[in-house]
Amino acid sequence: MRFVDEFRDGELGRAVAAQILGAVDPGRHHKVMEVCGGHTHSIYKYGIDDLLPANVELVHGPGCPVCVIPMGRVDDAIDVAHRPGVLFTCFGDMLRVPGSRGTLLDAKAAGADVRIVYSPLDALRLARENPDREVVFLAIGFETTAPSTALTLSRAKAEGLTNFTCLCNHVTIVPPLRALLDSPDLRLDGFIGPGHVATVVGARPFEFIAAGYRRPVVIAGFEPLDLLQAVLMILRQLGEGRCTVENQYTRVVPHEGNVKALEIMAEVFELRPHFEWRGLGFISQSALRLSNAYADLDAEIRFEVPGVRVADPKACQCGEVLKGVIKPWECKVFGTACTPEHAIGTCMVSPEGACAAYYNYGRFAREREVV
Amino acid sequence: MTAVPTPSTCAEGHCITCSDEGIEMEVVATAGHVAHCLDPDGAAAEVDVALVDAVAPGDTVLVHAGVAIAKLEAIA
Repeated sequence: MRFVDEFRDGELGRAVAAQILGAVDPGRHHKVMEVCGGHTHSIYKYGIDDLLPANVELVHGPGCPVCVIPMGRVDDAIDVAHRPGVLFTCFGDMLRVPGSRGTLLDAKAAGADVRIVYSPLDALRLARENPDREVVFLAIGFETTAPSTALTLSRAKAEGLTNFTCLCNHVTIVPPLRALLDSPDLRLDGFIGPGHVATVVGARPFEFIAAGYRRPVVIAGFEPLDLLQAVLMILRQLGEGRCTVENQYTRVVPHEGNVKALEIMAEVFELRPHFEWRGLGFISQSALRLSNAYADLDAEIRFEVPGVRVADPKACQCGEVLKGVIKPWECKVFGTACTPEHAIGTCMVSPEGACAAYYNYGRFAREREVV
Repeated sequence: MTAVPTPSTCAEGHCITCSDEGIEMEVVATAGHVAHCLDPDGAAAEVDVALVDAVAPGDTVLVHAGVAIAKLEAIA
């Protein structure tokens, strides 16, 4: 398929890997963070790690929207799902995310009507088809997903649907990046910027990283050649002493983002003063809630959601993995008490999570290395 | 919005709906704000194109959670 096949060309990939070898400073150790969970997945799936010199290390960032949801928000969702008459909808990954008293899948087994949807528009269709039920959509995701939720809510409002609400957990990418950059235990040389978030928000929101923190940022696509080229562009910036935001993903990302999507998000959402991130704590203005104009469609208001705060499990080191301080296999419970089948932490639940991606693709290669 | 693959069968163990990753799809036909598209595996999907400029058959769009968030530009 056009825009896909040409970015999976093995010969070109090896050529870019050779250029990386020529561009890297052999006397330095470079740590580059891929912000997005989709990038983490691609890196493991295509073995990008194996094509890089030993002194270029990829660090996995906080860009998995499932991984950063705290247990208290899952408990809130389960609480709403059990209310009489509620038809609760969510994306597939959220079903297995553990709260303090089980998962949404457990709630479904216990009798709650919990259904997977592919799009919030599917949840809206369920609301139209079930006028006697209260249909709730559990919204998660960064700025890539928020436009589809915003579009759905604007349609619900225009249609005057009274049995549809949204439990909003949308988060924004810039505040956690700023928090990471301010973290004293973090040492990073550059960032692979999230290509699909940037499709919506554009390149400008990432400029503070280059201007204020003197770190190169390269916004990248998700195919193997995209990621290799992004690493090469970062190494070239470092070699030349430059720090700018560059766009490797020009076939998709316009500098100004998607203006229509940003407009509808601005109408439907407003920033929350604070939001708790799993492993990262409370971060100011890092999440979205429904604006006053959409208060009638806000599940938190309609169901008077308790908003319970629950501490992360003590054994879980998701926070350190999310900050890139430790690798997944360095976590005390990785692959033993915490596996994709029986996950303790969210990084193992979501296929986008660094732990699950590493468990599924990377651990065998490491086992070979150790032997 | 009906889409293939079905929500419960994430391709290759990778749930692009839940992640912040879109998928390139080719537009086959349009009807109002809905475009009938094919994903890279040839599976059919209905996509809402209200948030991108007008699309026509043959265009490629980036789709996330049933909504097109970008129209791809030809590579120079």
